[in-house]
Formats: sequence, C-alpha cells, structure tokens
Amino acid sequence: MADITLLADALVRSTPLILAGLAVALAFRGGVFNLGAEGQLMMGAAASAAISIKLAPLMGPSVIVVSLGGGAVAGALWAGIAAELKRRFHVLEIISTIMLNFIAIHLVSFLVRGPMQEPTRIYPQTESLADSARLPIIIPGTRLHAGLILAVLLAVCLHWIFKHTAAGFRVRALGAGPNAARSAGQIDIAVLSWRVFVMSGAIAGLAGAIEVSGVTFALYENISPGYGYTAIAVALIAGLNPLGVIASGVFFGVLETAALALQRDFGIPSSIASMVEALLILVTLALAGLRGYLAFLAPRERTA
Amino acid sequence: MKLFALVICPIAVTLGACSSKPDTTDSASKHTFKVALLTPGPISDKSWNGGAYQGLMAIHDTLGAEVSHIQTKTPAEFDENFRQYGAKGFNLVFGHGFEFQDAAVRVARAYPNTVYVTTSGTSVGKNLAGVDFSFEEASYIAGLVAGRMTKSNVIGLIGGTELPPVKSSFEAFEKGAQTVNPKVKFLVSYIGNWDDASAGKEQAIAQISRGADVIMQNADAAGLGVFQAIKETKGVWIIGSNSNQNTIFPSQTLGSIVINLPRAFLLIAREVQKGNFIGHVFSLGLPEGVVEYTANPTVTSNIPVSVAATADSIQRQMSAGTFKGNVLPDSARKQPAR
Repeated sequence: MADITLLADALVRSTPLILAGLAVALAFRGGVFNLGAEGQLMMGAAASAAISIKLAPLMGPSVIVVSLGGGAVAGALWAGIAAELKRRFHVLEIISTIMLNFIAIHLVSFLVRGPMQEPTRIYPQTESLADSARLPIIIPGTRLHAGLILAVLLAVCLHWIFKHTAAGFRVRALGAGPNAARSAGQIDIAVLSWRVFVMSGAIAGLAGAIEVSGVTFALYENISPGYGYTAIAVALIAGLNPLGVIASGVFFGVLETAALALQRDFGIPSSIASMVEALLILVTLALAGLRGYLAFLAPRERTA
Repeated sequence: MKLFALVICPIAVTLGACSSKPDTTDSASKHTFKVALLTPGPISDKSWNGGAYQGLMAIHDTLGAEVSHIQTKTPAEFDENFRQYGAKGFNLVFGHGFEFQDAAVRVARAYPNTVYVTTSGTSVGKNLAGVDFSFEEASYIAGLVAGRMTKSNVIGLIGGTELPPVKSSFEAFEKGAQTVNPKVKFLVSYIGNWDDASAGKEQAIAQISRGADVIMQNADAAGLGVFQAIKETKGVWIIGSNSNQNTIFPSQTLGSIVINLPRAFLLIAREVQKGNFIGHVFSLGLPEGVVEYTANPTVTSNIPVSVAATADSIQRQMSAGTFKGNVLPDSARKQPAR
C-alpha cells in the first residue's frame, strides 16, 4: 500500500516537471532561451483557478477543458510579453523572462490576498475547486491524476512534430543556426521564434493549470517549489529531446519524493536531493562541454 | 546511451530503497505510539518551526513515541507527506501552520486511524483538529514594555507575511504600547516571506534609520536577520517571538513572546494516546500557559522596576482570568491563529 502511494506521489511530482521541461526543451530547441517557465506556470495556475471557480457552477464537467485551456492561454500571454519585447526592442529574453517570473510570483501573492481570496478572507489562498473542476484520479486511493497522461501525450506529440513535420524541422533549423535558417531555409526567423516562445509559454501555463486542477485544488502563493527552474535541468539532461524529458522528469520526481521519504523514515535531510540535482546538472554540462572540446580539437590535429 | 544509464541507475536505486523499507518498520513497531510533524520551514529558525520540533521531541521523551519530522515547501508536499504518514500507520500527525488545513481535511478522510492536527485553523472532524494560539494577550504585554522603553517614540514591527494572526498580534502590541505611551508611532513592515534573513535585516535597518529604537519581530528564520541588524546598532531594543529568543543577542533583547509549543503538543498527544481525542479546535493562550511574554533576565537592571512590575501584574491577571481590559482595538475582530 505504502509502495504504490509512494510511486504515485513520485509521478504526481513528475507531471509538472515533465510539462515545464517540455516547455523549456521546445524553446531551447528553437534557440529561444525562455527561463520564464516558472512565471508562466504561475500565471497558468492563477488563470485556471479563476476559471474553475467562476465557471464550475455553470458548466459542469466540461469546465476542466476550459480551465486547462485558459491556463495555457495565460502562460502564452505571459511569455508573449517577453516575446514582444524581444521582437520589437531586441530585449534579451534571458533577462526579461527571469524578471517576469518575479512579477508573476508577486502577482499571485497579491491575487490570493486580494481579488481571489477565499470567502472568509482569512487565509492567503483561493477557495477550493468544485469536484467537477478537478482532474480524475487514475489509480484509486492515490493522488495520481490524469495530468500525467496529458503530459506524456504532449511529449509524444512534440517528438513526432520535431521528427516528422516541416514545422518541427524549421524550429530545429532555427535553433541550430538562425542565419543559415534565414538565408538557406527562407525562414522568417523573427516570426518563428516568436511562435516558439509563445507555444513554450502555453505548455508551461498548462503545467500550472494541471497542478491546480489535479493536485492542490486551490491557488496558493507557494504553489510551485521552483518547477520552472528545475524544468531547465530536466530539459538539459534530456538533451532537449521530448521523450527524454519524460524520463528525466520522472527521474527528478522520484529523486525528490525519495528524498522526502528518506527524511521521514531515517531523518536524512531532504536537501540532499537538491545537491544531487545540482551535481547532475554540472556533470551533464561538463559532459556536453567535453564533447564540444574534443570535436574542436580533432580537426586541428588533422590539419596540423 | 551513457546519459541514459546515468538517469536510470539512480531511479532503480531509489525505488529499491523505498520499497524495501516498510517491512522492517511495520513489523517492529505495530504497537508503538507514532507521531509525525510537518513544518513549513527549517527547524533551525529558533522560532515557529524550531519550537514545534522541540514539541515533537518532548512527545518522544515524555510519551516514548516514535517520531518523525519533515520540512515541506508546497501544498502538493503537504498532501504527499500527510498521506505517507497515514499509510505508514502513524497515530498522530501535526501540520504546523494554517496552510496545512486543506490538505489535512482531504487526507483525514482517507486515513481514519490517524489523527491530523493543524496548529491553526478551524477545520475539525472525527480525526481532525485545529489549534488556536492566542497571541494577543502576550503581544499586548510586550507592547506595554516597548511603549515605556522607547525614547524616540517610534516602534518598529516586522512580520514575515501579512497573516491574520500576525496582524492581530501586532494590533494587540500597538494597543499595549499606546496604553502606556500615547505619543508612540509605529512602523509596520512585512518581509514577504519567512526565511530570507538578509531581507529581514534590510527591513530592520530601514526602520532604525527612520528612528525606531524598539523593534518587535515575528518572522521566523527571516527574523534572525532582524537580530543581526540590532547587533550592529547600539541603543535599539528587540522583542522576539514564537520561541524564547532572549539568548540570541541578550544584551539588547527586552523579552520574547513565547509559545510553549512543547506544552501544547504534549497536551494534544496525551489525549490521542489515551484514546480520548475529540476533534475540535484547541484554544490555547495565556490562561492555558501556552503563550506568554518572557522578559529577558540579562537586562533586568536596565529596565525600570515599574515597567517590569506592570507587565508582570497584568500577565498574572490575564492568566488568572481577572484582566478586564480589551487587548485589541475595537476595529479588529478576533481571528484564528496561524
């Protein structure tokens, strides 16, 4: 019993990591350094909570579709701000997205104390979602919700798009070399990178919407422990491959859940998980760097 | 491929480690009383979380319980850990803060043999209780002392976030200070979180530069930053909260508003162990000996005897139930504690 709930908890935790990881992987593939998955996720969570609370009494079970869609749109809009700044004023998205993260976090903090606060006006959170606005549980007795299925489907879709469609090829070309993509591929890189940016935001927003509809059932200010930042590691370790993101998302979910279990059962500090995560990222980057260095050395030896 | 192996190996190891555990714990401890604690922050804060951990240890030492503690960050983790402790057959699980309430309500239904207590809040059930710490009386007394001790007539109040119990505690503090010193002005600021010590220090420095010479803080780990700012400024007093913080920097600490969390935790754990637990809101304050203002003995010689005597006598009246005054301004209504 304990085992299945533990595994379910790990997968529950993996779900936002996979989704936000996909958002980051898509952006990085297209050469857009969207570090704002965290903020886009928060905005998605806020929009989804607002829609679920307002519309659940009117719509019945179909509200879930609208609420997840609304979350994706909110994430897209939030990323859209940075995308517009980049397109019009060439503002570096590395800076603008990180700044927008802080704004989103404080905005949610304001919302749960102001316009969206629960009716008794005591606690900084929204009221709980109606049952009809909650994602169905896929293993009874656990918390594992249908969001995981959505995340996996989305990963498979993205993988297929990258592999088998012209649009996917254009995104890869854009990321691999924007100048070549423009001159040789006749790609309007400004428009394409804007689209990649906004799509990436939509996926991150969906991650937030699923977290609200599947796990927390209300909007809180600390709803994310930094999913949007861990997602960068998830995407990098997966080599920006959407199917790889499923594996690395599950890996991080298991790692963090296991770390909590170790603290509960043996008193081992759970912060060890963060150290392991950081080490992994360093190793991955070092490996990638080493590979690049070797490739750089090899031809020189031949010409010399 | 190497990368793949790198990812899969730890998964296998961690899963293996988790799944082999329950057999050993379950069989060995069928009959021991098991108590767990979820804190929202680090137990090294010498305050809200540290006090709760002392409570857990008191249950371990006094009642011989098997105990477990975990620090949690997000609502999703509250749920996860409540469930895991329920699944492991724990008898009593504390969620240390109002924020644990919703998760406790959900999980309590799924694990009817485990008692869930949120130190806060109002939700109750067959195996679900809340705790209401009344901070106001003790804050009022701290205010009486601060109002007499300020020379600049500016008192700073620094909170973590603007939670209702923090707000009402500040209001009671202000009422107390105004009772003895009508000229006093207050600077109130909230750090925005409970763990950023350097932000706490900044707020304190800002208040000191605006003339505050007594600062009352209720900001857990972030409050330790307030102590740092005080250490660097002569002639400014500080008042601690939640735990007895008089020893952090004794020479400039007037006293602390102390919740005796161990006493509160023991009181509840005893009821659960004896089997006469009833799901209700435990209201614990000065009369129950759970919250009180504790003056700092190190600085007794610097505090006028009349100030200490007033604080003492009002505190005694409150705990005897004979105090007639109102500790909150008329505009503020009583709200449940964090």
